[in-house]
Amino acid sequence: MRGLDRSIADEAKDIGALALAVLARETQVHRGPVACELDGKVRDGEGQWRLADERIVLRAGPIRLAYERGRGVTLDVPPDVDPRNADLWLNGTIYAAVAAINGLMPLHASAVAHGGKVYAFTGPPGAGKSTLAAALGREGLPLFCDDTLILDLSHPDLIVALPGHKRLKLWPEGAALANAHLQEQVQSNYPKFFAQPAAGTVAEPMPLAELIFLEQGESPALVPVSPGERMARLQDDHYTAELFEHAARLERPQRFAQLAAIARLLPMHRFTRPYSPDKFDEGLALMRSHICQGLPA
Amino acid sequence: MTALAKDPARFVETIIEDETVVMRLDSGDFFSLKGTGRAVWDAIDGSRDRDAVLGIIAVRYGTTAEAIAPEVDAFLAELCEAGLLQKG
Repeated sequence: MRGLDRSIADEAKDIGALALAVLARETQVHRGPVACELDGKVRDGEGQWRLADERIVLRAGPIRLAYERGRGVTLDVPPDVDPRNADLWLNGTIYAAVAAINGLMPLHASAVAHGGKVYAFTGPPGAGKSTLAAALGREGLPLFCDDTLILDLSHPDLIVALPGHKRLKLWPEGAALANAHLQEQVQSNYPKFFAQPAAGTVAEPMPLAELIFLEQGESPALVPVSPGERMARLQDDHYTAELFEHAARLERPQRFAQLAAIARLLPMHRFTRPYSPDKFDEGLALMRSHICQGLPA
Repeated sequence: MTALAKDPARFVETIIEDETVVMRLDSGDFFSLKGTGRAVWDAIDGSRDRDAVLGIIAVRYGTTAEAIAPEVDAFLAELCEAGLLQKG
C-alpha cells in the first residue's frame, strides 16, 4: 500500500467495517404500505422527503419509501409500477438518509481510489462527477463510489470513506468523453446509463485524502480551498448536507466544531475546466497527475 | 474613545492554518479572517479603543497609524455591519 502508513489503513478498515455492517443491516428493504407523512406533514413534490426522529419518508411519483432506524427500509409500489423505478431513490436519497440517521455523513460525490486513499469529486448535478470518475477508471484508478459518498467521522484524526455503488451512472455525452462502454438504461424515466468501471471497484473502507469541487472555468486548473471556504462549502453541499443536518440535529456551535474538524483534516481543491469536449483530456491529465503524482496545484 | 469589544454571544470562532474562521450563530454566516483583518480581530480584546488597535497594527506591519487607518477603519465598519462587535 504505497504512500500510506499501514496502521492508518488498518484503522480505517476497522472503523469502516463497523459502519458498513450498520449500513448493510439498516438498508434491508421490505415491501409494505407507507403513509407519506411525518408529524402530520407531507411533501407533495417528486422526490420530496421529510426527516424527523430517526425516520424519513419520501415520495417519488406513485412510489413511496420510508426508513426508520432499526426497522429497515419500507418500499410501497403500486402493482402497475415497475419496482426498479425505486432503485434511484433507494441508492440515492434513502441510502444517504440511512447513513445520516445512523451518524454517518453523506456527500453528493463520486470517488476513485489511489495509493490506499480516496479522492472524491463533488458538484451540482451535471458537473461531471461520474464522468470524471469513469475517465480516471480508464487511466487505471478504481471506482470507490458513484454519486453518494458516505463518511465515518468517529475518529478524531481520520476521515474514513465507505465504498459505495459498484456501477457508474452516465449520460451518453459523459460516456463518450470518458470512453466508457454503456450498459442498460438506469430506468425507463431516467435516461442515464449504467457502465462498468474500467479499473474495477474498491471493496474496503479507506481514508479520505481529498475533496475536489468540480466547476466550470476558462482552462483546466486546480485551486486550493481555504479553511473557511472548506467549512462553508461543506455546509452548502446539496441535499446530502440537508439530510445530515436534519438527522444530526446539532446546535450551530456543535455543527461549527464538526465542520472545523473536517476542514482541518481534509484538503480541498476547486477543479475548474471548460465544459467543452475538446478540453476534456487536458483536464483529465491534470487531475490524474494531481492524484497520482501529488503535483502541487 | 470607546473600547472595541467583540460580542461573543453572537459568534463562534476557530483557527485553522493561517485563518480565523468566524460563524454568526443567528444566521450561520461564515467570515474568514486573514492577514491584516485577522491581526485587527486579534487586537480587539475589550479594553483597546480604535487608536490602540491602530497602534498595534501599525507596529506589526512597520507603518504609521495614519497610513493604515483607512484600511483598519473600513474593516472595523465591516465587523460592526456583520454584527460581530458590540455597539459602543
